[in-house]
Amino acid sequence: MVRLSRVLLKDAGNVIDKTLSEILVCPLSKQPLRFCEKTKSLVSDTIGVSFPMKGGIPCLVPKDGKILEEESEASKKNIK
Amino acid sequence: MRRINSIYGRIGLFKRISEKSTKQSHTFLASHSFSTHGGYGGDGELQQNNSKVKIFDRDLKRIHRDRAAWLSSRHKNNSFVDAVADNLLDRLEDCKKSFPTALCLGGSIGAVKRLIRGRGGIEKLIMMDTSYDMIKSCRDADEDSLGNSIETSYLVGDEEFLPIKESSVDLIISSLGLHWTNDLPGSMIQCKLALKPDGLFLAAILGGETLKELRIACTLAHMEREGGISPRLSPLAQVRDAGNLLTRAGFSLPGVDVDEYVVKYKSALDLIEHLRAMGETNGLLERNKILNRETALATAAIYDSMFATEDGTIPATFQVIYMTGWREHSSHQQAKRRGSATVSFRDLHKQFGGQSES
Repeated sequence: MVRLSRVLLKDAGNVIDKTLSEILVCPLSKQPLRFCEKTKSLVSDTIGVSFPMKGGIPCLVPKDGKILEEESEASKKNIK
Repeated sequence: MRRINSIYGRIGLFKRISEKSTKQSHTFLASHSFSTHGGYGGDGELQQNNSKVKIFDRDLKRIHRDRAAWLSSRHKNNSFVDAVADNLLDRLEDCKKSFPTALCLGGSIGAVKRLIRGRGGIEKLIMMDTSYDMIKSCRDADEDSLGNSIETSYLVGDEEFLPIKESSVDLIISSLGLHWTNDLPGSMIQCKLALKPDGLFLAAILGGETLKELRIACTLAHMEREGGISPRLSPLAQVRDAGNLLTRAGFSLPGVDVDEYVVKYKSALDLIEHLRAMGETNGLLERNKILNRETALATAAIYDSMFATEDGTIPATFQVIYMTGWREHSSHQQAKRRGSATVSFRDLHKQFGGQSES
């Protein structure tokens, strides 16, 4: 029963697995990722790239990442 | 500031920013030693991976593995892959340690998952592959067999850019996956960093003797029909390189051993079908995208005539190199410091009988 509900949650793509959320980092910068509720994707703030989640499975291949425009400008300003 | 369009170029951006913030410089130093060329973005600001050698076409490999996921759902028995995975997992029985968190890198993740059978005390398993279809078919297979006490998570990622935090997993297994990486030392370094201290790295890769019959048959057929040869088999590691790779990555207590498997097929075309189902078909960047029908038939004929056994089947050699390495820990054997010897050779000589003077 518990497994069935976990499968449903994963398919909804709303929850990222607890084990994964502790272990995952950005593949390029090795910095922690942020789960963005709006776009259901994992965002790496330091380099401004967002990685999609398909069917509840995070896709952290660098080629799949999308460059975010406004957020990258903001992060550059913050670090400086 | 210039807009950097490529994702790989962004790593250069990150490095520049990090050099300015001195407070956190010690954590950022780790990212400099991942690849063998000291940085993903090369030395320039917007360069992509120009300084690294690209042998394999990684995008094509993803497509191959997608196709393998569809094909292997039809052919359920793949004894070669199962034998390799079994051998690899057997090594867990030899360790007294248990590994609660394990990461399984692409290759034959399905076989590894199926054959764990409680070895190594694994509680949490993370499956990673470059191909989304492969992960999905793995997850679906998992749901079919409900008798599973291991908590499994799925992730799509690239072995050359490992998205795993430092010191977070106890065990990394890669069964027949790493021989398609462009930068094998870099991948192994990242694996080592992802391991906790006293963590184990187990890998099985294909060695140089693999498919030597196919290599010979292809070369002969091409020379005859087309007057030249193009690379059909990928460059594979030699056993002597495996030890160097492990020490270069920084693993302690490295161990390498080799095994040869001879698989028999009814015809050369069966062999190619099997390779497709494993996702092991040609992925070189330098490949010739056209294969003449005449040449293909000539290859099959040469293979048959040169290597066929009495009962009409043809053998194919697969040489598998098993590598094991541990992340350093204070409990491991260390070489003693120079000058800390307590016994001299002369004393040993006297002790063990010195009839002859050296």
